[in-house]
Amino acid sequence: MKMQREVFIAGVGETVFGKHNVDYDVLGRRAAFQALQASNIDRPDMVQTAYVGNGTNGMGAAQRVFRDLGMCGKLAIIRVESACSAGAMAVYSAIKDVTTGVADISIGVGCENHTMHRATGTAFAMGMDDVEGMQGAVMTGKYALRANRYMHETGATIEDLAMITVKNRKHAANNPHAWFKGDISVEAIVNSRMIAYPLTLQQCCGISDGAGAVIVCSKEMVKKLGIEKPVKVAGAVVQSGPYHNRPRDITGDDITEASAQQLYEESGIGPEEVDIVELHDAFTIAELLYYECLGMCKKGEGLKYLRDGQSTYGGQCVFSPRGGMLSYGHPIGASGAAQIAANVKQLRGECEGYQVDPIPKVALSHVTGGGLGGTEHAACTMHMLTKGW
Amino acid sequence: MSDSKGSDKSKKNKKKKEKEPDITFFHPELLEIPEDGSPAYLKGYKCKKCGQIDFPKLTPCPSCWGTEFEVVKLSRKGKLYSVTDIYIGQPGMKTPYMFGYIDLPENLRIFAQMEGEIGSFKCDEEVELTTGPIRINMDGLPVTSYKFMKPSV
Repeated sequence: MKMQREVFIAGVGETVFGKHNVDYDVLGRRAAFQALQASNIDRPDMVQTAYVGNGTNGMGAAQRVFRDLGMCGKLAIIRVESACSAGAMAVYSAIKDVTTGVADISIGVGCENHTMHRATGTAFAMGMDDVEGMQGAVMTGKYALRANRYMHETGATIEDLAMITVKNRKHAANNPHAWFKGDISVEAIVNSRMIAYPLTLQQCCGISDGAGAVIVCSKEMVKKLGIEKPVKVAGAVVQSGPYHNRPRDITGDDITEASAQQLYEESGIGPEEVDIVELHDAFTIAELLYYECLGMCKKGEGLKYLRDGQSTYGGQCVFSPRGGMLSYGHPIGASGAAQIAANVKQLRGECEGYQVDPIPKVALSHVTGGGLGGTEHAACTMHMLTKGW
Repeated sequence: MSDSKGSDKSKKNKKKKEKEPDITFFHPELLEIPEDGSPAYLKGYKCKKCGQIDFPKLTPCPSCWGTEFEVVKLSRKGKLYSVTDIYIGQPGMKTPYMFGYIDLPENLRIFAQMEGEIGSFKCDEEVELTTGPIRINMDGLPVTSYKFMKPSV
């Protein structure tokens, strides 16, 4: 979006990700309360607008998150939904309110509980009104189609794909918020249960629960609140996925490419300046393709970028420093907000045990959402954050 | 309104509310299986205003917003762009099953299940239209639709 005035992030919160026996609203409230306290907000009437990203947890979900915080009745609370992109879209909406002057303080929350509500042993699917859904389409399979084509064209192997999981789980080894973390071998990943060839279980994000929250505010409010390390929102983009029913290259991703281009132009920050990236690594293949789509390397060189260690510590840009979705799991409404929360903490140097060194100055996040027939994704949300102090 | 009339009405309504059978064919707008035994074909929709061909039917035509279409028979053979074997599928679907993207000469890409041996398909091979069950409906009956297989000849 075109920024009309500067917007800063005052504070963030995130829950531990994994299986929770409390519902989405409790998780959302925990993350929101953390973010409010981290922003020196000490009463329920200071935040002026609120957005909640949630995919599947029923009607009236947004207001329930804020009930115990005493905020209901004091502000507009709006739910946004775009499947996996919902949490980031909630933050985007909060940013939009602040940059346009609708609010001086706004909050974006992403929260989701899947495990209390979903049958295990099934994959996320499109609705039955979708021709692909009727033919048995599942999200794992749509990514597997991209993986097979990529392997066919480049000669990449399943072992290559597995390296993404190895890397991201290693990044998460000491991250208390991550679910699956630490050492795992390529062999163990390749030999785990087959989900959608060539994607094995350990190449897929877990179905988990969690929440993230982000408080955004104006420059004046940063001062009023006494925020020592405000993080600047250098750019924020939401795009809708173009419809296709014609042959096209699915080893690229048109919506990610277009969103990245727009983000780079609007923020004035190019890919070579980005220090860390949290992206939509719901499946190993995705991260590999997105190196290229984000312009971090040339088309066709994603695998080389990975093998050369460019996407880990000491490389050109550390991808998934929190461990990504392959470590957190992917509660669809929560992930986008949690990515932003993690990036803010990295920029502030607050990630003890998993802090990127040297402390990054520019952080990018990317999350897509939905898989309507004829689009790779229904939505894509991206944010560029910079050190603002 | 008399009581008897009211109860008649509710009886009628009850009858209407009885569960309608679920579909066993997907979908007349997409697929034609001619009664004369000639080969099945997928139905493309050619916009009468701008000539764009779409599958499935899009209304209005997203290119020119035309609202009148002519049905065209799509090619029965195409190239398999990519394919995968599904081991964890949709709720209620028997696994493994396969699906892929098939590129037709009409510059259309079709998403469809594959008929044949699991793991036997490769990118860029030629495949041909067939018909068969793609899933089981809510009444426990197979739903027939389009699928692709290795060419018969």
